[in-house]
Amino acid sequence: MLRGMADKILILDDDEQLVDAYREYLTGNGYTVDCAQELEEAQSLLAHFSYSVLITDLRLSKLAFGGLDLVRHVRENSLATRIIVLTAYGWPELKAEAASSGADLFLRKPTELRDLGNAIDLLAGVSA
Amino acid sequence: MSKSILETILEPGELRVVFQPIFRIEGETRSVDSVEALIRGPRGTHFERADILFDYVRRKKAEAAVDQACIAAICDAAELLPTGVRVNVNVHASTLGHNLGFADFLRRQVQKHSLGLERFTVELVEHAPTCNIPELMNNLTRLRDWGVRVALDDVGAGQSNYRMMLDCHPDYFKLDAYFVRDLTSDPKRCAVVESVVALANALDSAVVAEGVPSNEDLAHLEAIGVELAQANLLCPAIPLKQLLASDFFCDPAFGTPLPQETAEQTLPSGVESRVESGVESRVHNSVQTSVQSIDREHAFAKAAAASQSFYT
Repeated sequence: MLRGMADKILILDDDEQLVDAYREYLTGNGYTVDCAQELEEAQSLLAHFSYSVLITDLRLSKLAFGGLDLVRHVRENSLATRIIVLTAYGWPELKAEAASSGADLFLRKPTELRDLGNAIDLLAGVSA
Repeated sequence: MSKSILETILEPGELRVVFQPIFRIEGETRSVDSVEALIRGPRGTHFERADILFDYVRRKKAEAAVDQACIAAICDAAELLPTGVRVNVNVHASTLGHNLGFADFLRRQVQKHSLGLERFTVELVEHAPTCNIPELMNNLTRLRDWGVRVALDDVGAGQSNYRMMLDCHPDYFKLDAYFVRDLTSDPKRCAVVESVVALANALDSAVVAEGVPSNEDLAHLEAIGVELAQANLLCPAIPLKQLLASDFFCDPAFGTPLPQETAEQTLPSGVESRVESGVESRVHNSVQTSVQSIDREHAFAKAAAASQSFYT
């Protein structure tokens, strides 16, 4: 994993239990983790801190496909943040849209924590 | 369904109030001119940081609702201040530009807590172009008629521009910290500050320098006509309890605060009473620095002599 690098991770997901599990796993692997439940909260954190990786759910309860909005926000603001999109929906069109919006990786939920760690590994050393 | 972050922020008691004094600088003497009430978001969240809190609020386009919640929390807290202390409150220009009722809301809150409107200064903050200047001016006119002063925050940065200076007739220009930094060693920066001071003088406004980093810069500012300063160097934003325990209000002109034990018992839920780690000693030091040239015995003697009139 990216441990020891600029290893700050932002997670956007409104599933609190899932976020707690991700946070515990990633913190245990040496990362600093910030979590946001809403699109605007994530945007505010991105405006004030630098993150090496963003992990975002695609669908938020209060904003359908808000995760895609955040992916676009990161790219429009030219932030050097790698992006992993998580979703329970595996539609190819959705995957294509996430990729065209600027996501680096697309993972199906439920995701094993180890797979999430591997995904972060995969992004290591790749420029945004 | 769980509450949204905004709903949580707007719940009574979630917004906490801290105060940062604004000092009048006269040579070595630094006396409190007023205090700025600053807001901190829910404890244990990202929103404890005001910059993140208000960035989020602006993204949610909830400035007016949150400004109202802030005013309510600040009035709760200000009730415990000595009656002669003037209080600065931040309000988004967009809130005043879109809500004719805001001035009335502020007046009701102030009167509910038996505070004088003339003790308040509204600091206009804005991060986006203000689209309704006439409405903004209507609100400001009403506030001025009631004795409220107006300050333009972050002058030199963002939307605190020449138009706002002309339209809002601010009593104070709050000079953004960016222009104050390295003032002593940067002649270009100094030229900008001097031009702001000249402009303020021409418009019958006073300049407040924010974020002054050093005593050298402070002396430099005074030399070019800036008499008011607000900076962590002098005193960081502190909880009400610490503010009341400080020596800042020993001048009887400030009137009388509630007795300390009474203030502690009656602190409203949103009023910060916790002594933040690391802050206490800094405040202690800055208090010592700021009052070092004041004749304390004289001040206390004056306070005692005046106690009959100020303690009733």
